Amino acid sequence: MNFSEIDVAIIGSGPAGMAAAIKAKEEGAEHVLILERQEQLGGLLHQCVHNGFGLFYFGQDLTGPEYAHRFAEKVRDLGIEVLLETMVTQISPDRKLTAVNSREGPLHLLPKSIVLAMGCRERSRGQLNVPGTRPAGIFTAGTAQRFVNVEGLIPGKRVVILGSGDIGMIMARRLTLEGAEVRAVVEILPYVGGLTRNEVQCLHDFHTPLLLEHTVTEIHGEQRVEAVSIAKVDKDKRPINGTEQMIACDTLLLSVGLIPENELSRMAGVELDPLTGGPIVDQFRETNVSGIFAGGNVVHVHDLVDDVSWEAEIAGASAAQFARKEKLEKRRRIILKPGRNIRCVVPQAVSAQNDVILYARVKDMEENVQLKVGDIFAQSLRVVKPGEMLKVNLSHSQLSQLKEDIVEQIIECERRRYDG
Amino acid sequence: MVEEKIICIGCPLGCETTLKIDDQGEVVKIIGYKCKEGQQYVLEEYRSPVRVFTATVLTENSSRSLLPVRTNRPILKTKLMEAARALVSTRAKPPVRVGQIILANLLNTGTNVVATDDLFD
Repeated sequence: MNFSEIDVAIIGSGPAGMAAAIKAKEEGAEHVLILERQEQLGGLLHQCVHNGFGLFYFGQDLTGPEYAHRFAEKVRDLGIEVLLETMVTQISPDRKLTAVNSREGPLHLLPKSIVLAMGCRERSRGQLNVPGTRPAGIFTAGTAQRFVNVEGLIPGKRVVILGSGDIGMIMARRLTLEGAEVRAVVEILPYVGGLTRNEVQCLHDFHTPLLLEHTVTEIHGEQRVEAVSIAKVDKDKRPINGTEQMIACDTLLLSVGLIPENELSRMAGVELDPLTGGPIVDQFRETNVSGIFAGGNVVHVHDLVDDVSWEAEIAGASAAQFARKEKLEKRRRIILKPGRNIRCVVPQAVSAQNDVILYARVKDMEENVQLKVGDIFAQSLRVVKPGEMLKVNLSHSQLSQLKEDIVEQIIECERRRYDG
Repeated sequence: MVEEKIICIGCPLGCETTLKIDDQGEVVKIIGYKCKEGQQYVLEEYRSPVRVFTATVLTENSSRSLLPVRTNRPILKTKLMEAARALVSTRAKPPVRVGQIILANLLNTGTNVVATDDLFD
């Protein structure tokens, strides 16, 4: 491998990294290199042994490993170069990339373009400030997933899960099937954090108790978790006095949200959006640093892997174009801003040259709303939920209605009014 | 007459439906659905709720501890725990290719448990 002639370097080989690499290669980039810190391609997909992957991308209901396998085969068939067990330690704003592995030692690369595809990681106890002791037996849901599905270890026998994100609910089912007792899933909000599909198939199917508007107020145990105290919360999410109860357990799993992993992005001078935790990107998934693109969960946390791969393909195609020194069509820049009941939107800017798909997430569950983008787009929705990402297809013709002097559009949920 | 509640998972709406069921077990009325697809879903979910079963099996002679597996088609959801138990004594030995049968005719359902990843030494 000639490291001095890399067109597109991709950081990470999960569902984003592999999709970006394949697309970059298909779009004519000759030397595409994937840098992956693990010993195989696929990222987190290997521990996601459940199904529900690829329903939209492949039109088939695949498991995580199967989804990874399909992409990995294509990576191999297309002759995309891969460095496994290789950790990227630095990226500079002028795209100098430093990586290290135990075979080649430190590597200094200067790719023509870079795609950030590092994905995300889980919020942990430190970010929640749960009071109590610090015993063994507290894991994030994803760590438990790796233990159970890859290492063959069971983290505990009597489990309480705090938070009802998708991984938490999926682990409730997995642990039940492996013989553990999931004593409760405790969610601070009045509804589950993940997909309804998972609430039904992972909790209801196994009669797992779901306690909405509850939270863990204390962890008990010296060496090992012995119990957790839980309490009902008021509308400001504060525990209500007198509602505390103890649940005996040996394990507490946390499924309380994901954070895009952007240490490398920061080093490269990439500007991050505090609302998504990921890079601010335009419709080409280019960051503020010329030639550095980003796609997948490193940009914003998605619900579905299909959307992760699709988004990364945009980044891969743009990176290939940039590497060929072709100009990306950016005649104007319209900033998209979240308005009423919108937490975040990606991309954060569009150039109004092509059709574009916007991804938005709401703050709160709401029924009967009109989803609007300025005056150019409106769609009635019966319900919006924070756990289910909204997709807005904006056509070129809708965008071209915008007058030349417009530089900003607000995306918002408006309450729908009834005439009758 | 008994009632059964089923949440539709067809779309983000997650309609909570109620089925009224007569003494013969026949559905006489469904309340709470908001579309035709939803009506169809809850009817099927009542009559024969099925799920794809996914799990892992222990390996032998491999550096990996586990091989991920699935059923090649959905099975009745009432059989999921039994299916998990049926895999306890199953071992996968390399080489295994994606899609290869690991356990044939699971619980006499005619459904096969297949590998969802390759397994080499």
